[in-house]
Amino acid sequence: MTTYTIPVGPLHVALEEPMYFKVEVNGETVASVDINAGHVHRGVEYLTMQRNFYQNITLTERLCSLCSNSHPTTYCTALETIAGIRIPERAHYLRVIADEIKRVASNLFNVAIMAHIIGFDSLFMHVMETREVAQDVKETIFGNRMDLGANRIGGVRYDLDAKNQDYLSQQMERMKADLAEILDIYRNNAMIALRTVGVGVLPHDKALDYAVVGPVARGSGIAYDVRTKAPYAAYDRLDVPVVTETGGDVRARALVRLREVQVAIDLIQQCLRDMPDGPIAIGGLPRIPAGEAIAKSEAPRGELIYYLRTDGSDKPERLKWRVPSYMNWDALHVMMEGNRISDIPLIVNSIDPCISCTER
Amino acid sequence: MKAELGSFIGRLQPGWIVECATDRYGVTVGWCVLEAAGDLLPFAAAVKEAGGRLSTITAYQPKDPDAAVREIAYHFDLDGDTLTATVRLPRRGAEIDSLTPLFRNADWNEREFMELYDIRVRNHPDPRRLFVDATVDPAVLDRLIPFSAMVNSASTKTLWERIMAKTGDEQ
Repeated sequence: MTTYTIPVGPLHVALEEPMYFKVEVNGETVASVDINAGHVHRGVEYLTMQRNFYQNITLTERLCSLCSNSHPTTYCTALETIAGIRIPERAHYLRVIADEIKRVASNLFNVAIMAHIIGFDSLFMHVMETREVAQDVKETIFGNRMDLGANRIGGVRYDLDAKNQDYLSQQMERMKADLAEILDIYRNNAMIALRTVGVGVLPHDKALDYAVVGPVARGSGIAYDVRTKAPYAAYDRLDVPVVTETGGDVRARALVRLREVQVAIDLIQQCLRDMPDGPIAIGGLPRIPAGEAIAKSEAPRGELIYYLRTDGSDKPERLKWRVPSYMNWDALHVMMEGNRISDIPLIVNSIDPCISCTER
Repeated sequence: MKAELGSFIGRLQPGWIVECATDRYGVTVGWCVLEAAGDLLPFAAAVKEAGGRLSTITAYQPKDPDAAVREIAYHFDLDGDTLTATVRLPRRGAEIDSLTPLFRNADWNEREFMELYDIRVRNHPDPRRLFVDATVDPAVLDRLIPFSAMVNSASTKTLWERIMAKTGDEQ
Protein backbone atom coordinates (compact mmCIF):
# COMPACT_ATOMS: atom_id res chain seq x y z
CA MET A 1 0.00 0.00 0.00
CA THR A 2 1.27 3.48 -0.86
CA THR A 3 1.90 6.00 1.93
CA TYR A 4 0.97 9.63 1.40
CA THR A 5 1.42 12.79 3.41
CA ILE A 6 -1.69 14.96 3.40
CA PRO A 7 -1.57 18.58 4.51
CA VAL A 8 -4.68 19.61 6.46
CA GLY A 9 -4.90 23.32 7.25
CA PRO A 10 -4.15 26.02 8.15
CA LEU A 11 -6.88 27.26 5.82
CA HIS A 12 -8.71 24.04 5.16
CA VAL A 13 -12.40 23.80 4.37
CA ALA A 14 -13.01 21.18 7.04
CA LEU A 15 -11.33 23.07 9.88
CA GLU A 16 -12.97 26.02 11.61
CA GLU A 17 -9.68 27.50 12.81
CA PRO A 18 -6.10 27.86 11.50
CA MET A 19 -4.06 24.90 12.68
CA TYR A 20 -1.89 22.93 10.29
CA PHE A 21 -1.66 19.14 10.37
CA LYS A 22 0.62 16.95 8.32
CA VAL A 23 -1.07 13.59 8.25
CA GLU A 24 0.73 10.42 7.15
CA VAL A 25 -1.76 7.96 5.73
CA ASN A 26 -1.77 4.34 4.65
CA GLY A 27 -4.64 4.12 2.21
CA GLU A 28 -7.59 5.70 4.04
CA THR A 29 -6.07 5.21 7.50
CA VAL A 30 -4.13 7.80 9.51
CA ALA A 31 -0.64 6.51 10.36
CA SER A 32 0.74 9.55 12.19
CA VAL A 33 0.12 13.25 12.70
CA ASP A 34 2.41 16.26 12.95
CA ILE A 35 0.92 19.47 14.32
CA ASN A 36 2.22 22.83 13.13
CA ALA A 37 1.03 25.80 15.20
CA GLY A 38 1.68 29.52 15.32
CA HIS A 39 -0.69 30.91 12.71
CA VAL A 40 -2.51 33.19 15.17
CA HIS A 41 0.25 33.79 17.73
CA ARG A 42 -0.29 37.39 18.89
CA GLY A 43 2.05 37.78 21.87
CA VAL A 44 -0.83 38.65 24.22
CA GLU A 45 1.05 37.51 27.33
CA TYR A 46 3.77 40.00 26.52
CA LEU A 47 1.16 42.71 25.90
CA THR A 48 -0.32 42.20 29.37
CA MET A 49 3.02 43.12 30.88
CA GLN A 50 2.94 46.47 29.04
CA ARG A 51 -0.54 47.35 30.38
CA ASN A 52 -1.81 48.11 33.86
CA PHE A 53 -3.89 45.71 35.95
CA TYR A 54 -7.18 47.35 34.97
CA GLN A 55 -6.48 47.42 31.24
CA ASN A 56 -5.66 43.73 31.41
CA ILE A 57 -9.19 42.82 32.51
CA THR A 58 -10.34 44.01 29.08
CA LEU A 59 -7.40 42.42 27.26
CA THR A 60 -7.69 38.97 28.84
CA GLU A 61 -11.42 38.88 28.03
CA ARG A 62 -10.49 39.21 24.36
CA LEU A 63 -8.22 36.17 24.23
CA CYS A 64 -11.04 33.94 23.17
CA SER A 65 -14.70 34.37 22.40
CA LEU A 66 -16.27 31.18 23.68
CA CYS A 67 -14.55 31.06 27.09
CA SER A 68 -13.97 34.82 27.30
CA ASN A 69 -15.35 35.20 30.82
CA SER A 70 -13.09 32.54 32.34
CA HIS A 71 -9.99 34.63 31.63
CA PRO A 72 -10.84 37.89 33.48
CA THR A 73 -12.47 35.89 36.31
CA THR A 74 -9.29 33.89 36.89
CA TYR A 75 -7.03 36.90 36.36
CA CYS A 76 -9.01 38.97 38.89
CA THR A 77 -8.89 36.07 41.36
CA ALA A 78 -5.09 36.05 41.11
CA LEU A 79 -4.95 39.82 41.73
CA GLU A 80 -7.35 39.54 44.67
CA THR A 81 -5.21 36.75 46.18
CA ILE A 82 -2.09 38.91 46.04
CA ALA A 83 -3.88 41.97 47.45
CA GLY A 84 -5.69 39.92 50.12
CA ILE A 85 -9.06 41.17 48.85
CA ARG A 86 -12.15 39.32 50.02
CA ILE A 87 -14.92 39.97 47.52
CA PRO A 88 -18.57 40.23 48.61
CA GLU A 89 -20.56 36.98 48.81
CA ARG A 90 -23.06 38.12 46.19
CA ALA A 91 -20.19 38.72 43.76
CA HIS A 92 -19.06 35.08 44.12
CA TYR A 93 -22.48 33.88 43.01
CA LEU A 94 -22.66 36.39 40.17
CA ARG A 95 -19.26 35.17 38.93
CA VAL A 96 -20.57 31.60 38.90
CA ILE A 97 -23.69 32.64 36.95
CA ALA A 98 -21.62 34.46 34.31
CA ASP A 99 -19.21 31.53 33.91
CA GLU A 100 -21.97 28.93 33.69
CA ILE A 101 -23.97 30.87 31.08
CA LYS A 102 -20.80 30.94 28.99
CA ARG A 103 -20.34 27.20 29.52
CA VAL A 104 -23.88 26.51 28.25
CA ALA A 105 -23.25 28.48 25.04
CA SER A 106 -19.72 27.15 24.51
CA ASN A 107 -20.53 23.46 24.98
CA LEU A 108 -23.65 23.62 22.82
CA PHE A 109 -21.69 25.32 20.05
CA ASN A 110 -19.18 22.46 20.02
CA VAL A 111 -21.74 19.66 19.90
CA ALA A 112 -23.68 21.55 17.23
CA ILE A 113 -20.55 21.71 15.05
CA MET A 114 -20.11 17.99 15.58
CA ALA A 115 -23.57 17.38 14.07
CA HIS A 116 -22.69 19.69 11.16
CA ILE A 117 -19.45 17.77 10.41
CA ILE A 118 -21.38 14.50 10.39
CA GLY A 119 -23.83 16.04 7.92
CA PHE A 120 -26.75 15.94 10.36
CA ASP A 121 -27.67 19.56 9.72
CA SER A 122 -31.19 19.38 11.14
CA LEU A 123 -29.60 18.41 14.47
CA PHE A 124 -27.06 21.22 14.06
CA MET A 125 -29.95 23.70 13.70
CA HIS A 126 -31.79 22.16 16.64
CA VAL A 127 -28.78 22.55 18.96
CA MET A 128 -27.99 26.06 17.72
CA GLU A 129 -31.61 27.10 18.24
CA THR A 130 -31.42 25.86 21.84
CA ARG A 131 -28.07 27.63 22.27
CA GLU A 132 -29.72 30.83 21.04
CA VAL A 133 -31.59 30.98 24.36
CA ALA A 134 -28.23 31.33 26.14
CA GLN A 135 -27.14 33.95 23.61
CA ASP A 136 -30.32 35.94 24.24
CA VAL A 137 -29.75 35.67 27.99
CA LYS A 138 -26.24 37.12 27.59
CA GLU A 139 -27.49 39.94 25.40
CA THR A 140 -30.33 40.77 27.79
CA ILE A 141 -28.33 40.68 31.02
CA PHE A 142 -24.87 41.80 29.91
CA GLY A 143 -25.64 43.71 26.72
CA ASN A 144 -23.36 41.47 24.65
CA ARG A 145 -23.64 38.05 23.06
CA MET A 146 -19.99 37.04 23.64
CA ASP A 147 -17.87 39.30 25.90
CA LEU A 148 -19.76 39.89 29.12
CA GLY A 149 -17.60 42.56 30.77
CA ALA A 150 -18.76 41.05 34.07
CA ASN A 151 -15.58 41.28 36.15
CA ARG A 152 -13.66 43.85 38.09
CA ILE A 153 -10.97 43.63 40.71
CA GLY A 154 -12.84 43.06 43.96
CA GLY A 155 -16.11 41.81 42.51
CA VAL A 156 -18.33 42.09 39.46
CA ARG A 157 -19.71 44.86 37.27
CA TYR A 158 -23.26 43.59 36.90
CA ASP A 159 -26.16 42.75 39.15
CA LEU A 160 -29.41 40.89 38.74
CA ASP A 161 -32.57 42.63 39.91
CA ALA A 162 -35.72 40.63 40.66
CA LYS A 163 -36.98 41.02 37.09
CA ASN A 164 -33.77 39.73 35.55
CA GLN A 165 -33.57 36.89 38.05
CA ASP A 166 -37.07 35.77 37.01
CA TYR A 167 -36.15 36.10 33.35
CA LEU A 168 -32.93 34.09 33.80
CA SER A 169 -34.72 31.38 35.75
CA GLN A 170 -37.45 31.08 33.10
CA GLN A 171 -34.95 30.88 30.25
CA MET A 172 -32.96 28.16 32.01
CA GLU A 173 -36.16 26.21 32.59
CA ARG A 174 -37.09 26.69 28.94
CA MET A 175 -33.92 24.92 27.76
CA LYS A 176 -34.40 21.76 29.79
CA ALA A 177 -36.87 19.86 27.58
CA ASP A 178 -34.88 20.62 24.41
CA LEU A 179 -31.66 19.55 26.11
CA ALA A 180 -33.12 16.24 27.22
CA GLU A 181 -34.23 15.58 23.64
CA ILE A 182 -30.82 16.56 22.22
CA LEU A 183 -28.99 14.39 24.76
CA ASP A 184 -31.20 11.44 23.82
CA ILE A 185 -30.31 11.89 20.14
CA TYR A 186 -26.56 12.07 20.84
CA ARG A 187 -26.82 9.04 23.06
CA ASN A 188 -29.08 6.79 20.97
CA ASN A 189 -29.25 7.89 17.33
CA ALA A 190 -27.81 5.22 15.02
CA MET A 191 -26.21 7.67 12.59
CA ILE A 192 -24.49 9.58 15.38
CA ALA A 193 -23.28 6.29 16.87
CA LEU A 194 -21.95 5.11 13.51
CA ARG A 195 -19.72 8.16 13.13
CA THR A 196 -18.67 8.75 16.75
CA VAL A 197 -18.56 5.53 18.78
CA GLY A 198 -15.07 4.05 18.86
CA VAL A 199 -13.78 7.00 16.81
CA GLY A 200 -10.87 9.10 18.08
CA VAL A 201 -10.41 6.98 21.19
CA LEU A 202 -8.22 8.32 24.00
CA PRO A 203 -7.83 5.51 26.55
CA HIS A 204 -7.80 6.37 30.24
CA ASP A 205 -4.06 5.66 30.68
CA LYS A 206 -3.17 7.82 27.67
CA ALA A 207 -5.40 10.63 28.96
CA LEU A 208 -3.38 10.60 32.18
CA ASP A 209 -0.09 10.42 30.27
CA TYR A 210 -0.97 13.41 28.07
CA ALA A 211 -2.31 15.33 31.11
CA VAL A 212 -5.48 16.32 29.27
CA VAL A 213 -8.15 18.24 31.15
CA GLY A 214 -11.81 19.18 30.98
CA PRO A 215 -14.40 17.23 28.96
CA VAL A 216 -11.56 15.49 27.06
CA ALA A 217 -10.26 14.03 30.34
CA ARG A 218 -13.71 13.35 31.74
CA GLY A 219 -14.72 11.61 28.51
CA SER A 220 -11.89 9.17 29.26
CA GLY A 221 -13.08 8.58 32.80
CA ILE A 222 -10.87 11.03 34.70
CA ALA A 223 -13.06 12.62 37.37
CA TYR A 224 -11.16 15.90 37.64
CA ASP A 225 -13.07 19.19 37.73
CA VAL A 226 -11.48 22.34 39.19
CA ARG A 227 -14.86 23.38 40.57
CA THR A 228 -14.70 20.48 43.03
CA LYS A 229 -10.96 19.77 43.27
CA ALA A 230 -9.94 23.38 43.94
CA PRO A 231 -13.18 25.29 44.57
CA TYR A 232 -13.38 29.04 43.97
CA ALA A 233 -16.12 31.69 43.83
CA ALA A 234 -19.29 30.04 45.26
CA TYR A 235 -18.66 26.50 44.00
CA ASP A 236 -17.85 25.19 47.48
CA ARG A 237 -21.41 26.02 48.51
CA LEU A 238 -23.07 24.52 45.43
CA ASP A 239 -23.80 20.94 44.50
CA VAL A 240 -21.48 20.29 41.52
CA PRO A 241 -21.71 16.71 40.19
CA VAL A 242 -18.60 15.74 38.21
CA VAL A 243 -19.69 14.30 34.86
CA THR A 244 -17.66 11.45 33.39
CA GLU A 245 -18.02 8.99 30.53
CA THR A 246 -15.84 5.97 29.93
CA GLY A 247 -15.85 5.55 26.13
CA GLY A 248 -12.94 7.95 25.54
CA ASP A 249 -14.26 8.52 22.01
CA VAL A 250 -15.86 11.39 20.09
CA ARG A 251 -19.31 10.57 21.43
CA ALA A 252 -18.12 10.30 25.05
CA ARG A 253 -16.65 13.83 24.86
CA ALA A 254 -19.87 15.19 23.33
CA LEU A 255 -21.99 13.50 26.00
CA VAL A 256 -19.85 15.00 28.76
CA ARG A 257 -20.35 18.47 27.26
CA LEU A 258 -24.10 18.05 26.92
CA ARG A 259 -24.49 16.70 30.44
CA GLU A 260 -22.35 19.59 31.71
CA VAL A 261 -24.80 22.00 30.09
CA GLN A 262 -27.49 20.42 32.25
CA VAL A 263 -25.24 20.79 35.31
CA ALA A 264 -24.55 24.44 34.37
CA ILE A 265 -28.27 25.20 34.19
CA ASP A 266 -28.78 23.56 37.57
CA LEU A 267 -25.88 25.58 39.03
CA ILE A 268 -27.39 28.83 37.73
CA GLN A 269 -30.69 27.91 39.36
CA GLN A 270 -28.91 27.00 42.63
CA CYS A 271 -27.24 30.43 42.55
CA LEU A 272 -30.55 32.21 41.94
CA ARG A 273 -32.00 30.34 44.93
CA ASP A 274 -29.09 30.85 47.33
CA MET A 275 -27.50 34.16 46.31
CA PRO A 276 -27.46 36.57 49.25
CA ASP A 277 -28.30 40.27 48.99
CA GLY A 278 -25.52 42.76 49.39
CA PRO A 279 -22.82 44.65 47.51
CA ILE A 280 -21.39 43.31 44.25
CA ALA A 281 -17.87 44.69 44.63
CA ILE A 282 -15.54 46.43 47.04
CA GLY A 283 -15.25 50.16 46.57
CA GLY A 284 -12.41 52.05 44.92
CA LEU A 285 -9.43 50.93 42.89
CA PRO A 286 -7.35 48.63 45.08
CA ARG A 287 -3.56 48.88 45.05
CA ILE A 288 -1.83 45.62 44.19
CA PRO A 289 1.30 44.97 46.26
CA ALA A 290 4.33 42.87 45.25
CA GLY A 291 3.63 39.17 45.38
CA GLU A 292 2.78 36.07 43.40
CA ALA A 293 -0.33 33.96 43.09
CA ILE A 294 -1.88 30.98 41.34
CA ALA A 295 -5.53 31.05 40.31
CA LYS A 296 -7.42 28.23 38.64
CA SER A 297 -10.86 27.78 37.20
CA GLU A 298 -12.85 25.23 35.22
CA ALA A 299 -13.33 26.90 31.85
CA PRO A 300 -15.68 25.22 29.35
CA ARG A 301 -12.70 23.31 27.92
CA GLY A 302 -11.19 22.43 31.31
CA GLU A 303 -8.62 23.64 33.80
CA LEU A 304 -7.43 27.18 33.20
CA ILE A 305 -4.44 28.25 35.31
CA TYR A 306 -3.06 31.76 35.81
CA TYR A 307 0.28 32.60 37.40
CA LEU A 308 0.71 36.25 38.31
CA ARG A 309 3.79 37.92 39.73
CA THR A 310 3.72 41.58 40.77
CA ASP A 311 6.40 43.99 41.93
CA GLY A 312 4.39 46.79 43.52
CA SER A 313 3.98 48.73 40.26
CA ASP A 314 0.68 48.93 38.39
CA LYS A 315 1.70 46.34 35.77
CA PRO A 316 2.29 42.59 36.06
CA GLU A 317 5.93 41.60 36.34
CA ARG A 318 4.86 38.31 34.76
CA LEU A 319 1.45 37.06 33.77
CA LYS A 320 1.25 33.55 32.40
CA TRP A 321 -1.77 31.42 31.70
CA ARG A 322 -2.18 27.94 30.36
CA VAL A 323 -5.42 27.15 28.65
CA PRO A 324 -7.02 23.68 28.62
CA SER A 325 -6.56 23.23 24.86
CA TYR A 326 -2.77 23.42 25.30
CA MET A 327 -2.37 19.75 26.28
CA ASN A 328 -5.46 18.51 24.50
CA TRP A 329 -3.88 19.23 21.09
CA ASP A 330 -1.00 16.84 21.73
CA ALA A 331 -3.44 14.04 22.57
CA LEU A 332 -4.67 14.18 18.95
CA HIS A 333 -1.65 12.01 18.13
CA VAL A 334 -3.31 9.17 20.04
CA MET A 335 -6.86 9.94 18.95
CA MET A 336 -6.13 10.11 15.22
CA GLU A 337 -3.80 7.18 14.60
CA GLY A 338 -5.63 4.24 13.06
CA ASN A 339 -8.71 6.31 12.23
CA ARG A 340 -10.05 7.21 8.78
CA ILE A 341 -9.05 10.39 6.96
CA SER A 342 -12.72 11.37 6.76
CA ASP A 343 -12.90 11.39 10.59
CA ILE A 344 -10.07 13.91 11.05
CA PRO A 345 -12.32 17.02 11.31
CA LEU A 346 -14.65 15.15 13.67
CA ILE A 347 -11.78 14.12 15.96
CA VAL A 348 -10.22 17.61 15.93
CA ASN A 349 -13.61 19.12 16.80
CA SER A 350 -14.04 16.61 19.63
CA ILE A 351 -11.29 18.24 21.69
CA ASP A 352 -13.21 21.54 21.26
CA PRO A 353 -9.92 23.20 20.35
CA CYS A 354 -9.32 26.87 20.85
CA ILE A 355 -6.39 28.09 18.79
CA SER A 356 -6.62 31.74 19.77
CA CYS A 357 -6.38 30.63 23.43
CA THR A 358 -3.57 28.15 22.81
CA GLU A 359 -1.30 30.47 20.90
CA ARG A 360 -2.22 33.69 22.68
CA MET B 1 -3.85 20.10 52.18
CA LYS B 2 -4.67 17.15 49.95
CA ALA B 3 -3.05 13.75 50.57
CA GLU B 4 -0.97 14.07 47.37
CA LEU B 5 0.73 17.29 48.51
CA GLY B 6 1.20 15.78 51.96
CA SER B 7 2.82 12.76 50.34
CA PHE B 8 5.17 15.04 48.42
CA ILE B 9 6.07 16.99 51.57
CA GLY B 10 7.11 13.64 53.06
CA ARG B 11 9.61 13.22 50.20
CA LEU B 12 11.37 16.56 50.63
CA GLN B 13 15.15 16.43 50.38
CA PRO B 14 17.59 18.69 52.27
CA GLY B 15 17.50 22.21 50.86
CA TRP B 16 13.98 21.95 49.47
CA ILE B 17 11.87 24.32 51.54
CA VAL B 18 8.18 24.50 50.65
CA GLU B 19 6.08 27.37 51.99
CA CYS B 20 2.38 26.58 51.91
CA ALA B 21 -0.72 28.71 52.27
CA THR B 22 -4.26 27.33 52.45
CA ASP B 23 -7.21 29.52 51.46
CA ARG B 24 -10.70 29.55 52.96
CA TYR B 25 -11.80 26.89 50.46
CA GLY B 26 -9.15 24.53 51.82
CA VAL B 27 -7.06 24.77 48.63
CA THR B 28 -3.32 24.81 49.29
CA VAL B 29 -0.68 26.55 47.22
CA GLY B 30 2.97 25.67 47.87
CA TRP B 31 6.09 27.55 46.76
CA CYS B 32 9.66 26.33 46.62
CA VAL B 33 12.86 27.89 45.26
CA LEU B 34 15.44 25.43 43.94
CA GLU B 35 18.83 27.09 44.20
CA ALA B 36 20.49 24.24 42.28
CA ALA B 37 19.05 23.68 38.80
CA GLY B 38 20.19 20.04 39.09
CA ASP B 39 17.52 19.55 41.74
CA LEU B 40 14.73 20.03 39.21
CA LEU B 41 14.55 16.44 37.94
CA PRO B 42 14.63 14.78 41.39
CA PHE B 43 12.08 17.35 42.61
CA ALA B 44 9.77 16.64 39.66
CA ALA B 45 10.25 12.88 40.14
CA ALA B 46 9.12 13.23 43.76
CA VAL B 47 6.05 15.20 42.58
CA LYS B 48 5.20 12.44 40.12
CA GLU B 49 5.63 9.73 42.76
CA ALA B 50 3.21 11.67 44.96
CA GLY B 51 0.61 11.61 42.16
CA GLY B 52 1.28 15.08 40.74
CA ARG B 53 0.72 16.42 37.24
CA LEU B 54 2.62 19.18 35.46
CA SER B 55 0.20 22.09 34.98
CA THR B 56 2.42 24.52 33.14
CA ILE B 57 5.82 26.19 33.09
CA THR B 58 6.48 29.93 33.29
CA ALA B 59 9.77 31.32 32.03
CA TYR B 60 10.28 35.05 32.29
CA GLN B 61 12.65 37.86 31.68
CA PRO B 62 13.90 39.76 34.74
CA LYS B 63 12.70 43.36 34.66
CA ASP B 64 16.13 44.55 35.77
CA PRO B 65 18.27 44.53 32.59
CA ASP B 66 21.42 44.00 34.70
CA ALA B 67 20.06 41.02 36.60
CA ALA B 68 22.54 38.14 36.67
CA VAL B 69 19.90 35.43 37.09
CA ARG B 70 16.69 34.43 35.42
CA GLU B 71 13.96 32.16 36.73
CA ILE B 72 11.68 29.43 35.46
CA ALA B 73 8.63 28.51 37.53
CA TYR B 74 7.29 24.95 37.24
CA HIS B 75 3.67 24.60 38.36
CA PHE B 76 2.42 21.17 39.45
CA ASP B 77 -1.10 20.09 40.29
CA LEU B 78 -1.57 17.67 43.20
CA ASP B 79 -5.28 16.79 43.16
CA GLY B 80 -6.30 20.46 43.15
CA ASP B 81 -3.46 21.85 45.26
CA THR B 82 -0.73 23.64 43.33
CA LEU B 83 3.00 23.43 43.94
CA THR B 84 5.35 25.86 42.21
CA ALA B 85 9.08 25.18 42.03
CA THR B 86 11.18 28.12 40.86
CA VAL B 87 14.60 27.37 39.38
CA ARG B 88 17.27 30.07 39.21
CA LEU B 89 19.58 30.07 36.20
CA PRO B 90 22.28 32.38 34.85
CA ARG B 91 20.80 35.21 32.78
CA ARG B 92 23.02 34.39 29.80
CA GLY B 93 23.45 30.89 28.39
CA ALA B 94 20.91 29.29 30.70
CA GLU B 95 20.44 25.54 30.41
CA ILE B 96 17.94 23.25 32.06
CA ASP B 97 17.01 19.56 31.83
CA SER B 98 13.86 18.61 29.98
CA LEU B 99 11.00 17.36 32.14
CA THR B 100 9.61 15.30 29.27
CA PRO B 101 11.00 11.97 30.59
CA LEU B 102 8.71 12.48 33.60
CA PHE B 103 5.88 14.61 32.23
CA ARG B 104 5.07 14.27 28.55
CA ASN B 105 3.18 17.57 28.50
CA ALA B 106 6.39 19.48 29.30
CA ASP B 107 7.11 19.15 25.56
CA TRP B 108 5.13 22.15 24.28
CA ASN B 109 5.90 24.28 27.36
CA GLU B 110 9.64 23.82 26.87
CA ARG B 111 9.49 24.42 23.12
CA GLU B 112 7.58 27.64 23.75
CA PHE B 113 10.04 29.11 26.24
CA MET B 114 13.03 28.08 24.14
CA GLU B 115 11.82 30.22 21.24
CA LEU B 116 11.01 33.22 23.42
CA TYR B 117 13.96 33.26 25.83
CA ASP B 118 17.68 32.52 25.80
CA ILE B 119 17.26 29.15 27.54
CA ARG B 120 18.45 25.81 26.18
CA VAL B 121 16.63 22.65 27.21
CA ARG B 122 18.83 19.58 27.48
CA ASN B 123 17.49 16.28 26.13
CA HIS B 124 14.30 17.70 24.66
CA PRO B 125 12.88 15.03 22.33
CA ASP B 126 11.61 17.46 19.68
CA PRO B 127 13.23 20.91 20.03
CA ARG B 128 11.51 22.42 16.98
CA ARG B 129 9.70 25.73 16.94
CA LEU B 130 6.20 25.68 18.40
CA PHE B 131 4.62 29.04 17.52
CA VAL B 132 7.33 31.33 16.15
CA ASP B 133 8.36 30.71 12.55
CA ALA B 134 11.57 28.71 12.02
CA THR B 135 13.11 31.58 10.03
CA VAL B 136 13.16 33.86 13.10
CA ASP B 137 16.24 33.58 15.35
CA PRO B 138 15.53 32.17 18.85
CA ALA B 139 15.21 34.06 22.18
CA VAL B 140 12.83 36.57 20.62
CA LEU B 141 11.92 38.41 23.81
CA ASP B 142 15.52 38.59 25.02
CA ARG B 143 16.83 40.04 21.77
CA LEU B 144 14.22 42.32 20.28
CA ILE B 145 13.16 45.81 21.29
CA PRO B 146 9.38 45.93 21.42
CA PHE B 147 7.83 48.11 18.77
CA SER B 148 5.67 49.78 21.44
CA ALA B 149 8.76 50.75 23.46
CA MET B 150 10.45 52.08 20.35
CA VAL B 151 7.63 54.21 19.01
CA ASN B 152 5.71 55.16 22.15
CA SER B 153 8.09 55.63 25.01
CA ALA B 154 11.32 56.50 23.25
CA SER B 155 10.07 58.87 20.58
CA THR B 156 7.41 60.45 22.75
CA LYS B 157 9.97 61.33 25.45
CA THR B 158 12.32 62.85 22.90
CA LEU B 159 9.49 64.74 21.27
CA TRP B 160 8.28 66.19 24.57
CA GLU B 161 11.80 67.21 25.57
CA ARG B 162 12.08 69.15 22.32
CA ILE B 163 8.68 70.76 22.79
CA MET B 164 9.50 71.70 26.38
CA ALA B 165 12.87 73.11 25.32
CA LYS B 166 11.23 75.22 22.59
CA THR B 167 8.55 76.59 24.89
CA GLY B 168 11.17 77.30 27.56
CA ASP B 169 9.48 74.99 30.04
CA GLU B 170 12.14 72.80 31.64
CA GLN B 171 9.67 70.56 33.42
